[in-house]
Amino acid sequence: MDNKGWSLKGSLLPLLLLVSELLLGQSVASLPICPTGAVNCQVSLRDLFDRAVILSHYIHNLSSEMFNEFDKRYAQGRGFITKAINSCHTSSLSTPEDKEQAQQIHHEDLLNLILRVLRSWNDPLYHLVTEVRGMQEAPDSILSRAIEIEEQNRRLLEGMEKIVGQVHPGVKENEVYSVWSGLPSLQMADEDTRLFAFYNLLHCLRRDSHKIDNYLKLLKCRIVYDSNC
Amino acid sequence: MKESVASTAVFILLLFLNTSLLNGQSPPGKPEIFKCRSPEKETFTCWWKPGEDGGLPTNYTLMYHKEGETITHECPDYITSGPNSCYFNKKHTSIWTMYIITINATNQMGSSSSDPRYVDVTYIVEPDPPVNLTLELKQPEDKKPYLWMKWYPPTLVDVRSGWLTLQYEIRLKPEKATEWETHFAGQQTQFKILSLYPGQKYLVQVRCKPDHGFWSEWSPESSIQIPNDVTMKDTIVWIFVAVLSAVICLIMVAAVALKVHSMVTCILPPVPGPKIKGFDAHLLEKGKSEELLSALGCQDFPPTSDCEDLLVEFLEVDDSEDQQLMPAHSKHPDQDMKPTPLDPDSDSGRGSCDSPSLLSKKCEEARANPSTCNIPEGIEKPENPQTKVTCTWDAQSTRLEGKIPYFPADGSKSSTWPLPQPPSQHSPRSSYHNIADVCKLAVGTAGASAALLGKTDTHALRSAKTTETGGEEKAAEQREVESFHSKTDQGTAWLLPLEKTPLISVKPLDYVEIHKVNKDGALSLLPKHKENSNQPEKPSPPEASKEYAKVSRVMDNNILVLVQDPRAQNLTALEEPAKEAPPSLQENPAEEDLASFTSAPSSCGLQLGGLDYLDPTCFMHSFQ
Repeated sequence: MDNKGWSLKGSLLPLLLLVSELLLGQSVASLPICPTGAVNCQVSLRDLFDRAVILSHYIHNLSSEMFNEFDKRYAQGRGFITKAINSCHTSSLSTPEDKEQAQQIHHEDLLNLILRVLRSWNDPLYHLVTEVRGMQEAPDSILSRAIEIEEQNRRLLEGMEKIVGQVHPGVKENEVYSVWSGLPSLQMADEDTRLFAFYNLLHCLRRDSHKIDNYLKLLKCRIVYDSNC
Repeated sequence: MKESVASTAVFILLLFLNTSLLNGQSPPGKPEIFKCRSPEKETFTCWWKPGEDGGLPTNYTLMYHKEGETITHECPDYITSGPNSCYFNKKHTSIWTMYIITINATNQMGSSSSDPRYVDVTYIVEPDPPVNLTLELKQPEDKKPYLWMKWYPPTLVDVRSGWLTLQYEIRLKPEKATEWETHFAGQQTQFKILSLYPGQKYLVQVRCKPDHGFWSEWSPESSIQIPNDVTMKDTIVWIFVAVLSAVICLIMVAAVALKVHSMVTCILPPVPGPKIKGFDAHLLEKGKSEELLSALGCQDFPPTSDCEDLLVEFLEVDDSEDQQLMPAHSKHPDQDMKPTPLDPDSDSGRGSCDSPSLLSKKCEEARANPSTCNIPEGIEKPENPQTKVTCTWDAQSTRLEGKIPYFPADGSKSSTWPLPQPPSQHSPRSSYHNIADVCKLAVGTAGASAALLGKTDTHALRSAKTTETGGEEKAAEQREVESFHSKTDQGTAWLLPLEKTPLISVKPLDYVEIHKVNKDGALSLLPKHKENSNQPEKPSPPEASKEYAKVSRVMDNNILVLVQDPRAQNLTALEEPAKEAPPSLQENPAEEDLASFTSAPSSCGLQLGGLDYLDPTCFMHSFQ
């Protein structure tokens, strides 16, 4: 099942990229193209959210597949799951833990939270790609997905900044994010430690990508469809 | 004292243990959490499977603690989700948080704990099936009807706020089909099915899946009946067409029934008998063969022109053994004619049936044929007058037919051939047999000729052919000859050419008169000069009255074909006087008789020498 999922995602990856490109292109075609730095760009919020949701959904799918494959291949019988408790670097960010909390938070705050999480993952994703490449017998599927996630994450960040610029323009928040310090663990010589570091990183990535996806869908339904999806 | 107490305690403990062991009781087995599920990502439930209970009532407790917390909690709700379950309501559910859950089983004997299970609600979402599936058959104007179905998301799932995004899948099949037809419906809650089989009852189901969760179960089946395509209007039209067709069929059947007979005649016409165009059977009966043949359009048949060439010019009577039998003037050699040396046998004729050459030829075949043919023997044994010619008809006729060419109509000449030697008084010659045979030949050829002229005689010929005995043969031959004569231009036709041929008399000819035909069908020919001597031999009218008194034709083998005269019987009386009297011209060619043969004057004279021939000129005279 996981293999199927991974292979499916492998084939879906370029397709989804194409789709997202088309969507972006389409919206650009239907609306004036927004050059970088332009202030009064008129891509509609709906389209922005649609694109953002597509990206976030896609990123989580990739993350989930990546984790499942890694777990099946490297983490069997090692009991990593018992150790991967409360070990994500973004746990310090107070994110809502259920629906009620998420619905109570203001959409601007939620947007900022999303941005923070996304920014927190720039660095780990970059190192993930580097370290997976150097891994012995690194499966191609994990590496390709890691590369893809990193790129999409960057694009999602850009999209979110646009959304924020439209939702509440003028407020430029300090770029707050959680610092990731798991790099030395990824480079440990001890295989077990190293593998656990990877496992933990992928585990946290899966969770955070799901959070982002969920928050964005909530925001979309709330802002674009007025809570009537 | 203490020792006794201690020992007693030990004893009691041992007793207790023994009792428990004897009873089969033991601590509970290890339970196991086998499933945890959240229907809407707001609550979740875990189910466990108890181990062996050890024969004692066992108490199960679920203990859990959350990620980032140290406090261990017990299951808040053991009831809502059924036995051996723990239901976590919204208050107790945190998303994106790991739950570490453990089951404890306790009984009187002891307790056991399950392995901890790590549960993150984020990844165990499995919603309920969609609800309120409605089916509707929509039939827009001018378009094919389609099935339109609508459903609603499961009640617990919050789709409006976007907390869960559902995707749907529907499947349908005709009621009696075995396989489902599945369609992915995306996030929409309605669907159209266009390709439907009319007259079928369809079953439809729907299920849903959250954006990052598991598929739900299929909803209960909804059914709908698709109506038939045929409308009332179509039915009426078809009924009308059927009634109309039935009426038309009835009319046709009635018409056919009335005219069955004529139709049968039309379809299966009666097989016509053989007919010759322009052929009048009445003419045959009257014997007017000329008219008949002219009616048939046989102008040249039998050939009346070039008769001169066809005439037998003369009969050579030559007892010289070296002479050729063929007349010198014969214009074209017949196929079967060969110049042969005369047989030293005095009896041998030349080029006749008696001719050894011809005879041997014929009789070789006869010999080959198991049917007896006594001709050669007859020749060899002239003293055996009564030798029968018992060649079977078939054998002879078929052979001879091949041998005897058809009477040519193109002017070829038939050559004369000497008749067999007239017999001595006492002995009908075997030549008689030959004549009989020749007559048979004649009939055979007649049959062949008849084939030329028409087919009407074939039946007569055939009937003749089937006869075996001589008498029957004769009768058949007679009939055949009669028929042949009646239907063909008999003597007249045959002999017309004879009339015109100038006589080339090389030698004086002798007369032969057919004295009688004995019961064997043998002709007895008497030379004319022996007439007197033959007086006593003049027979009483032959019993069978079968006399070959007619020359039907002359074959180019120098064979004179004599046929029986049907009226010979009546003319027997005439014969005798006719023999003595000068030949009286017979007006009626059908009434040939012996006298005619013998009435020829000197021109019919035959050369002496034992070979007697019939002068064809005699025939000419007789038939003029």
